Amino acid sequence: MSNISQASSRDTGAPLLELTDVKTHFRTRRGLVRAVDGVSLTLERGKSLGVVGESGSGKTILSRSIMGLLPTKGTERHGSIRFQGQEIGNLGRKQMRHIWGREMAMIFQDPMTSLNPLMKIGRQITEPLEIHLGMDKDNAWATAERLLQDVRIPEGARRLHQYPHELSGGMRQRVMIAIAMACGPTLLFADEPTTALDVTVQAQILDLLNDQRKERNMSLILVTHDLGVVAGHTDEIAVMYGGKLVEKAPTRVLFADMKMPYTEALMQSIPKIDDPSHTRLLAIGGRPPDLVNPPNGCRFAPRCLYARDRCLTEEPPLRATDNPEHTYACWYPVGSAEYYQAKARLAETPVAVGGLD
Amino acid sequence: MSATAELISADILLATKPPRRRRKFPSLGVVFAFIWLISLTVCTLFAAYIPFIRDYDTQIKVNGKTGRYNLGPGWTAWMGTDASSHDVFARSIHGARITLMIGVLATIMGLVLGTILGVLAGYFGGKVDRVVSIIVDCLLALPALLLALLLVYRMDDLKSVYTWLGWLDRKWEITLTLGILATAPLARIVRAQTMGLREREFVLAARSLGAKGGRVILREILPNLVPAMVTVAITGLGILIAAEGALAFLGLGVERPVTWGKMIIDGRADLKRAWWATVFPATFLFLTVVSFNMLGDRLARRFDIREAAI
Amino acid sequence: MRYALQRFTQFLIVFFLVTFGVMVFMRIGLNKPGDPARTMLGGTVSQELIDSTTAKFHLDSNYFVQYWFWLKGMLTLDFGYSAPNNMAVTTYLKPRVLTTVFLGVYSIFFALVIAVPLAVYQAYKRDRSFDKLSSFATFFFISVPAVVLAPLLKYVFIDWLAWFPRLSSKIYPWDDLVGHFKNFFVPVLVLTIPLAAVWTRLLRADMVQTLQSDFITLASAKGVPPSRVLWGHALRNSVFSLVTSVGFQLGGLVGGALIVEAYFNMKGMGSLLVVAILSSDLFTVQAVSAILVACVVLVNLGVDLSYALIDPRIRHARALS
Repeated sequence: MSNISQASSRDTGAPLLELTDVKTHFRTRRGLVRAVDGVSLTLERGKSLGVVGESGSGKTILSRSIMGLLPTKGTERHGSIRFQGQEIGNLGRKQMRHIWGREMAMIFQDPMTSLNPLMKIGRQITEPLEIHLGMDKDNAWATAERLLQDVRIPEGARRLHQYPHELSGGMRQRVMIAIAMACGPTLLFADEPTTALDVTVQAQILDLLNDQRKERNMSLILVTHDLGVVAGHTDEIAVMYGGKLVEKAPTRVLFADMKMPYTEALMQSIPKIDDPSHTRLLAIGGRPPDLVNPPNGCRFAPRCLYARDRCLTEEPPLRATDNPEHTYACWYPVGSAEYYQAKARLAETPVAVGGLD
Repeated sequence: MSATAELISADILLATKPPRRRRKFPSLGVVFAFIWLISLTVCTLFAAYIPFIRDYDTQIKVNGKTGRYNLGPGWTAWMGTDASSHDVFARSIHGARITLMIGVLATIMGLVLGTILGVLAGYFGGKVDRVVSIIVDCLLALPALLLALLLVYRMDDLKSVYTWLGWLDRKWEITLTLGILATAPLARIVRAQTMGLREREFVLAARSLGAKGGRVILREILPNLVPAMVTVAITGLGILIAAEGALAFLGLGVERPVTWGKMIIDGRADLKRAWWATVFPATFLFLTVVSFNMLGDRLARRFDIREAAI
Repeated sequence: MRYALQRFTQFLIVFFLVTFGVMVFMRIGLNKPGDPARTMLGGTVSQELIDSTTAKFHLDSNYFVQYWFWLKGMLTLDFGYSAPNNMAVTTYLKPRVLTTVFLGVYSIFFALVIAVPLAVYQAYKRDRSFDKLSSFATFFFISVPAVVLAPLLKYVFIDWLAWFPRLSSKIYPWDDLVGHFKNFFVPVLVLTIPLAAVWTRLLRADMVQTLQSDFITLASAKGVPPSRVLWGHALRNSVFSLVTSVGFQLGGLVGGALIVEAYFNMKGMGSLLVVAILSSDLFTVQAVSAILVACVVLVNLGVDLSYALIDPRIRHARALS
């Protein structure tokens, strides 16, 4: 809808995206699944945010909630989502359609299944151009060719007439990025954009995303389970666990001074180049929480090495460190006296650690 | 499962405990299908001993006289009487015995032939597969009902030429014909299933241990074909029963006892005057076909056999 | 191209085998000289007529020679001679073929017109009450044999509501357009309903699956309106079972036409065939089955080739082979 983008002109003082206590619940036969359970955050224009968590942490559902891409049946949405100063949390698919592709776009995980196999890629790129910007065919195809250039696909004119199966996985992901950027959205979601790709291609795609973000002054929300992916490519990181935001900080701050034991555990589960070879990676023991009957207290407590009685009964609020941009939800954060006590105890009983993997 | 649940399953349900297994009750349709088929079978098998089922030849007299359609549905004759004053209900039951018998025997025949062809084609591939494919294609190229007409009629003829075919009465002719008709689609499905099974680990393992073709087929492949075969057989039974009805309808049915299809076409001219003579046999036929379809559909979903789904 | 050629030869083989099989099957048992002609002519006829007929149609030579002559005749559209009617099969077949063609074409057309939008809408409104209700209905209608449906619809539309008069003999649209449609409405309905039900179920199942694919979500996320997502993206990806089934159902449709023609006293190929079989009208049986087999074979060939039209992946894979 043109009035959405124009009324909220792109230079208003409000942040691009502002979430307050967003909840997304699904009614299932087993009961209410609290997939996203009270998330608040803001994102400034042109910035990038990494949303990190294991599968089941609600990170994918959060991004889809913001876009409004969830099925309406059996879904309950609460809280406020303000986009460019306008409330969009209560909009239906009909109204969201004018925002999709034009203001917000999404890149999916698997480029193999996310492109229509029976449609020329040129057609798939020009479709939003024709719908949102009202371009005529020639104009749209010329734009598509330029877009392919932007995502560094050589021989764009020829590629436009090919079908997805004629392209490699990395190439297809580039096409997806081109589709997402076609109408110049202000907010781009990338949901595990590199998981399905070869390791060698992963870095290229992430760099491409980042370059394009800067060039076009877009905001980017990068959803991933891999802290390594977000490390060099986002301004801020939000860690999610069990549908809740458990820690959020600027990237450099988070890596230097994480507070949440869960973040620490995630960090320890990525291999590092300077580790000696054959270093055992620490897996996080246990399973992600049951989102129908989440544990009392801190949701991570049942799996937390440093958990105490209080963690099991009382839910920690999100609070800030000395740096107001760094918030976390933990009673005994990394670096506290209780943390060191627990760590010392664990060192004495190595069995407990061994039992984790 | 709803669309929501599927969407969540990607991400969330991974994280949740598997639901407690509740005993699922079969759906209303399946229950109905069972009740209908079982009571129909019982009635046909023990018709002679069940007091409310008249004999096949008993004519109902009104005021001491027989007459065309002399009774509508009512207490005396539940489903009225037909053109020759016979009880429509009793005739429907007596006809059902032949129909069911023909259906079951033809299905068994189709299963045996279809499985042999399908397993051979699917397991050995290559030239065997070519030949079987052509046979199956040929059988499917001629519209089924046409083929059936041709077969039944010519068998009648041949009987007079070749005396050793004397045992072939109408009942057996139709059974044989429908059995041949059922072969082609069954062979197709069995072939596809066998080709899938052939590449599965346990079959490969058996083969790598040196098991011969025959042994692998009997011990490894056939037992795994059973769910698909049962499913297709049940659905097929419904189709064959409808086909038997169609044959009888076209005048190539069993003469005595008459079956549903014949009763339907016999009532054609007097549909307006005596709807019951048509409607009730039609209902019998419909309910029976629906019941088999219902069961087959359920089984197909249970075993995830797409080819058998209707 | 090679693929198409290969399929074509396979279908040609099937056509020859089946027509040859039908010919042989109509003649086995007629072993004594003159038997085929006697059966064909029926009743008591003079020996001279039998002899002349036998000679004229080479009925005493072996099957392969007979088949050869028959095939040669076919190429010039000479389907032989119908003894019971004492005329050339071709002349007397022509009007009858049209009736059946009308029946078939109309019922396929209307079945598609009903099935496609219905299935698309069902898949779109999946698990809502409309979907559940209509899915139940399609299941119901799939299970209604033509034998049951024909009297039912005849009773409702012709006897009870009396919307349509008794079927008249004018069957051509160029004679009487309104009468033509009035004539065909109920018979076509008998054939269309089960067909539409089968296709709706097939298409719905595939649509539901397609609508869960990532590329559909992507299409929505691009801001493509739902109607265009359904018709432009999802439908084309879901039509394979439907297309396959068109080939499969054709045989069943002919069977249905047989019943409908018999029940409504229409003079079509089906009713003709029944009479021909019952009167051992050899050449008519051969002609009708050849026409039907050719239809089935050609449609299946078309189905096979249309996969490549729909799916570029198949096109490319075949181009390589």
